Amino acid sequence: MRKKQFWVGYAFIAPNLLGVLLFFVIPAAVSAVLMFTDWQFASPVFHFVGFDNIKRLLHDEQFYTSLANTALFLASVPVSIALAFLVAVVLNRSVYLKSLLRALYFLPYITNGVAVAFVWMLLFQPKLGPINGLLRSIGIENPPGWLTSPDSVMAAIDIIWIWFMLGYNMIIYLAALQEISPELLEAAKMDGARKRQVVFRIMLPLVSPTTFMLLVTGLIMSIKTFGIFEALTQGGPGSSSLILSLYVYKTAFRYYEIGYAAAISWALFAVILFITAIQWFGQKKWVHY
Amino acid sequence: MLFFAILTVLPFAWMISTSFKSPSEVFDFPISWIPANPVWEHHQKIWTGSASFVPYYLNSLKVSLISTIGATVLSALAAYGFTKVTFKGRDTLFVFYIAMMMIPPQVLFVPKFIIFKWLGIFNTHWALILPGMITIFGVFMMRQFFLSIPNEISESAYIDGAGHARIFLQMMLPLAKPALATLAVIDFSWHWNDFENALVFLISRELYTVPLGLQNFILEYNVDYNGMMAAASAGILPMLVVFFIAQKFIIQGLSGTAVKG
Amino acid sequence: MLKKKMAALLAAVMMGTALAGCSTGMGTTNGSANASGTPAASSANPDEKITLTMWGGVPAESGPQAVVDAWNAENPNVQVKYERFVNDDAGNLKLDTALATGQDADLFVSYSKTLLQRRVDAGFALDLSAYSDYDIDENIPGADEWKIDDKYYGMPTVKSNFFVWFNKELLDEAGLPLPEEWTWQEMKAYAEKLKGDKRYGLVQHTEPFPDPLDSVSMKFGYTKADGTSHMDHPLYGEWMETLKSMMDDGWTTVPYAEQVTSKMPVDTVFLSGEAAMLNAGTWIFRSSNNMKDNPRTFKIAFAPVPRLAEDPADYVTRGGTGDAISINANSKHKDAAWTFLKWYADGGMLPMVPGGRLPASKAVDADDTMKLLLGENADTYDQESLKRVLFNDDVKYSRSLPQQVMDLRQEEYENFFTGKKDVQTTLADIARRHNEFLKQNGS
Repeated sequence: MRKKQFWVGYAFIAPNLLGVLLFFVIPAAVSAVLMFTDWQFASPVFHFVGFDNIKRLLHDEQFYTSLANTALFLASVPVSIALAFLVAVVLNRSVYLKSLLRALYFLPYITNGVAVAFVWMLLFQPKLGPINGLLRSIGIENPPGWLTSPDSVMAAIDIIWIWFMLGYNMIIYLAALQEISPELLEAAKMDGARKRQVVFRIMLPLVSPTTFMLLVTGLIMSIKTFGIFEALTQGGPGSSSLILSLYVYKTAFRYYEIGYAAAISWALFAVILFITAIQWFGQKKWVHY
Repeated sequence: MLFFAILTVLPFAWMISTSFKSPSEVFDFPISWIPANPVWEHHQKIWTGSASFVPYYLNSLKVSLISTIGATVLSALAAYGFTKVTFKGRDTLFVFYIAMMMIPPQVLFVPKFIIFKWLGIFNTHWALILPGMITIFGVFMMRQFFLSIPNEISESAYIDGAGHARIFLQMMLPLAKPALATLAVIDFSWHWNDFENALVFLISRELYTVPLGLQNFILEYNVDYNGMMAAASAGILPMLVVFFIAQKFIIQGLSGTAVKG
Repeated sequence: MLKKKMAALLAAVMMGTALAGCSTGMGTTNGSANASGTPAASSANPDEKITLTMWGGVPAESGPQAVVDAWNAENPNVQVKYERFVNDDAGNLKLDTALATGQDADLFVSYSKTLLQRRVDAGFALDLSAYSDYDIDENIPGADEWKIDDKYYGMPTVKSNFFVWFNKELLDEAGLPLPEEWTWQEMKAYAEKLKGDKRYGLVQHTEPFPDPLDSVSMKFGYTKADGTSHMDHPLYGEWMETLKSMMDDGWTTVPYAEQVTSKMPVDTVFLSGEAAMLNAGTWIFRSSNNMKDNPRTFKIAFAPVPRLAEDPADYVTRGGTGDAISINANSKHKDAAWTFLKWYADGGMLPMVPGGRLPASKAVDADDTMKLLLGENADTYDQESLKRVLFNDDVKYSRSLPQQVMDLRQEEYENFFTGKKDVQTTLADIARRHNEFLKQNGS
């Protein structure tokens, strides 16, 4: 019986597992070897350089800068998830035009990236843009330069990312909210629970597995993303919006230093692993299955 | 609520509006949302003539649809294995899965190349479809949904003599409709917009997908935003169709049937 | 020992599989070594129909399609197909991938020496000295800057020129003479006089933006005699401070970060009269000749790029040759590709001229080029000043700085322009990071 279960379990996982082996595990193993070489893309020769790439990484100020910027970027993830939960709760009830509103929130996720970058760049335009126009009208004399200033560029990108991820987080929450039985919510209301209590005391714990998954995958996805940075700032001004994944991309495909790029990638991997491990062990405290 | 909704539409609106503008109007500030003299030529070029986008759309549809269906099915299968079948090493294996999800994709490109050449799928659509069917995120998402379906349901069926295959097909899949639909929507949009993989794994022009086709609009020292947005606007349609179909499942799927509680 | 075995095994796996598609096989580690001195089998049979594929970064409709159409009409047995890649990081990666996996690419264009060097290192480019029937040094003046280890792995085909474009109407209104040689301080004074209400005095294309710095370093060296960085030269600081002071009022020139994040199309800005001067090069002609999308009423005049150094003798302007075309070392049709390449350089490429690509070969007549370049809009240009910037014997340099150094320098001057660092810190940081790069790359 137990033995049978073992094979049945693997039978279910096998097709996927085969793909994971082929397209993740083996490539990852190769890239782990590359980390110890000085291989340049397309070159027929390379040498094993031992820990040189790792030593170089430890003294690389661009690495530390991008590490710090990555942390600033990740701050947007929980904010977006929290907002998405609230939006999903509202849209889950009968709201006027809710079907249309849901589609609207999903639009950023499917709109062409160039259009997204262009519009936000216009919105954030420091001299004539509407965002700074609004800030000036409420009495802020020196509004930030947003994308044009090293001090505010990460804040600007965080705002864009929150906006971008909102629809995605929301539709996953919507699917999760479908599973909560209306009777349960009715019962809570009968017991005299106020709206706010229903949302935070009942709905929030019930969707906690989803929240956990969104947090884990959201952080992983965000930490790996670099397209938005390429489209908006290319890491600038200076290196003020250089994040780790962009640094990996540049090192690998602009400078062709595959060996060093592999080293940065594995450092990036260690960061994600650390963050995820904390969440994994922390989940027992707040995730209710 | 409405304010945010407007904010979400702006890029979309800009995309549509730009596709009807003349090149000199693109950079007008403040933005003119409705072009003074709308031009159709950018849209015409997308559908007719030598620079037609039709082959790109067809390629993208093929790649995205097959990948999405495959990814959804394989994720659901694996997620069932990870939740409703008890076997040794299950949770360790899952943690390993999660770890694999964390590897930055940029360094996997070069090794993937070698594997694709070896499989003989380099420079074919299979180079996008086969890896596209494997999504660890999908497994994770489906697992979380299956976890919230009480084990008693599947266990009692099992004791009643139903095999795992039957439980999966007849009980779990119908219950998981909203999750499956959600996964399909998200997965489809990923495949539809995938640029990096298509860039390095497809060389022949006749295989190009929409994101690669959009590169045609990057000229030497500037960008043809009008043409690009015309092509991108039409490219949104399939995603909207998928979204609206899926939404039916997401919303209707479980409402009314109390599973949890 | 184990290490060595591992390395060998890995190399075999990586290259063996990656290059397995090459029909010629990779018998030698350096593909360029098996350059064909002997005629390729395919071209021995004149009746056989072959197709060559050429990879280039210029959109097909901006000239290349017309070039290959003309060739194909005359050479039914050797058809050429043009494949366009975008000349950015992603596009070059795509080309290199195609080359590494043995896809059809008989000819390919490298737009910088850095890129060509990489392709030579990888064994993709054929050593053109195998062919003795065409003397590149003799036929293409200034080609030698593209030599690698004293050999040509690519034939430069265009002559590049960089200069300042003037709105002649605004210049005349302000009563300013057209400069024939000038300094950055003078340009600043011009820009201040020429700016107007919502009109910039000067806008610059981002590509030639750092050229003044390279001009300084070409003269005084990127490194000092002791091998350490010399990229903290005082003239670097002078350039940064002059530009910053021009940016400060927002209109003498466009503030740097604003230009970059708004993706400002400087050609459109200039041609619509919203800027009096434009620092760019010949490629703008494609836009300035397009009267439909960029209608204008004013005449355009030209001046050389100003110098930072006081003494004109200390100044070299950017220019030289470009668009180096290589033959794939693994091509099945090397000889046919070589025949096409010669034809291309010696005039076949003329349809590229209206797009601003001037042939570098002596075989092409300068007046013909001029006519093609200006087309029916010749009257809208001040041709005398154009000839001065296009056809002169000034010593020129072409930029071949490693990408990493270009990037670090740019990051640092961005820090300065956005007010994050002062001049001294910026210069010190450029030098420090340059030194790190030098150490890393073992020189």
